[in-house]
Amino acid sequence: MKIENKIILSNVFNIGLILLIGFFAFQNLDLMLTKLRFVEIADDLNASFLEMRLSEKNFLLYHNENFLVEMKEKIESTDQMLDSAGTDIIRAIGKDNFELLKSYLKHYSYIVEIIRRKAGSDEFLDARFRAQGKKLREFSSTITRLERKGVNDIIYRSKSVLFYSFLAIVAGAVFVSHFISQKILRSLREIEKLAKSISLGNFDRIEGEIPADEFGSVMTAINSMSEELRNREEALIQSKKLASLGILTAGVAHELTNPLNNISMIAQNYLELYDKLDRDQKIDFMDKVEKETDRIKEIIKNLLDFSRPKDANLKAADLNTVMQKTLKLMQNMLDISNIETKTDLGMNLPPVFIDEHQIQQVLVNLMTNAAQSMQSGGTIFMATRCCRGDSVEIRIMDTGKGIQPEFVPHIFDPFFTTKGEGGTGLGLSVSYGIIKNHKGDIRVESKVGVGTTFTIELPVYKNQL
Amino acid sequence: MSDHRVMIIDDEKIVGDMAKLSLEQEGYIVETFLNGETALVRLAEQKFDVVVTDLKMKGIDGMEVLRTVKSLYPDTRVIMITAFANLDTAIEALRGDVHDFFPKPVKIKELKASIQRALGG
Repeated sequence: MKIENKIILSNVFNIGLILLIGFFAFQNLDLMLTKLRFVEIADDLNASFLEMRLSEKNFLLYHNENFLVEMKEKIESTDQMLDSAGTDIIRAIGKDNFELLKSYLKHYSYIVEIIRRKAGSDEFLDARFRAQGKKLREFSSTITRLERKGVNDIIYRSKSVLFYSFLAIVAGAVFVSHFISQKILRSLREIEKLAKSISLGNFDRIEGEIPADEFGSVMTAINSMSEELRNREEALIQSKKLASLGILTAGVAHELTNPLNNISMIAQNYLELYDKLDRDQKIDFMDKVEKETDRIKEIIKNLLDFSRPKDANLKAADLNTVMQKTLKLMQNMLDISNIETKTDLGMNLPPVFIDEHQIQQVLVNLMTNAAQSMQSGGTIFMATRCCRGDSVEIRIMDTGKGIQPEFVPHIFDPFFTTKGEGGTGLGLSVSYGIIKNHKGDIRVESKVGVGTTFTIELPVYKNQL
Repeated sequence: MSDHRVMIIDDEKIVGDMAKLSLEQEGYIVETFLNGETALVRLAEQKFDVVVTDLKMKGIDGMEVLRTVKSLYPDTRVIMITAFANLDTAIEALRGDVHDFFPKPVKIKELKASIQRALGG
């Protein structure tokens, strides 16, 4: 669900809660008003019943029929009052109690009527008369008492309902806003982490389920951005590789010319001296031709391996072998530039987890840079060493002109170059990307006039099984 | 048949071997070396009429051989061969008074003709 919808929903929920409380409070008030009105009516009724009982007492004392007439009038007026306020009373005490009250009153009135008709009374009738009056009065005062208690209950109840509803609203609002803000903050932190890792050159996709809210859209956007960046980086790596290839070609041409020349010279002598050569010499010639063609095949294979575009394919590999292969590929180019190489490859290196071709590309790159910084010849010193933490270290040191201190922080930036128009400014940034993809590290130290040292750390391969 | 001495310097063994085989047919006395250092040592002991040297070699390269020979043994002719031929190196070699300059692959007949010319034949 979208966050916007969640916020709207939580507001609707709170408003609903408030309306519900209002509705209950209104109902309670309404009920209370009804009850209070009834209490008023009941007070009137009680007064009437009291007067009736007073007349009843007078009649029983003096046996004056006037008192009965008075009672009859009172009963009738009370009955009228009951009828006119009927709906209110029913609402307050219920239909059954109302009917009971009416029936008591009717019964009372009936006894009064009988006594009046007989124009006198006997012991039995008097007792019934007294009992019925008492019953009526007791019933009405009981109801009045109950109703007063009811009113108190309602007041008490609505007080506590209001209190708890208030607590519920506050708790609900706090919980919902806390929950939503937590969720927003969590998503923001996730995105922040992601942006950081992208800025470090890690273009992995966000794994796991993508939420259906606004953050989901942001994550999807970041995912497609990462993918685009990764594609571009791959393209960049490949284009840089082709550029390195151009530099290598001069060396490779030289390397190819030598075996070609050898074959050519053997062939020339073979034809020229065919009759003078003995069988063993002829066989020796052809053996040499075969060996020289193998040499050519090997050179071409190295070159193709290097130039072919490949996805990063991380495998356990021996770093020293990669160093030696690279050196072989570079040897002629270095010879032409009159550059000496010295190697100090560490013994018993653990395997590293690398894409051999990409690391080779980085090494070619660093060595080409080193060669270009040493125009009048020099030495490239290459070393491998075990182990810094979980990493194997490579050092490539040259005796070139060095890098100006103010340029050092920028040398891994894309398009930064000190070679003028000759450089693309991509070599080191691509190398940096490759090493970072390997979860490794690349650093530089340089002194103007003394030379530059690149240090690469690559993670040791750990068998996952 | 001549008894002229020819020195071949090339870090590719086959070059020396093949040149020697062919030149010996013509009666030359041929010695081959795989690097500039041993060649210069031998030159100090023995006079050679022609030195055929590769240009690009580790250590003492063809250009240095040329310079040394021209300063110490001005009568000795130097022929340069190289797999890495471009105009700059050719000009530099010619400035250093090289007798001839051959890019690889070398035509042995041409090399022999050049040696003959070097000897004034």
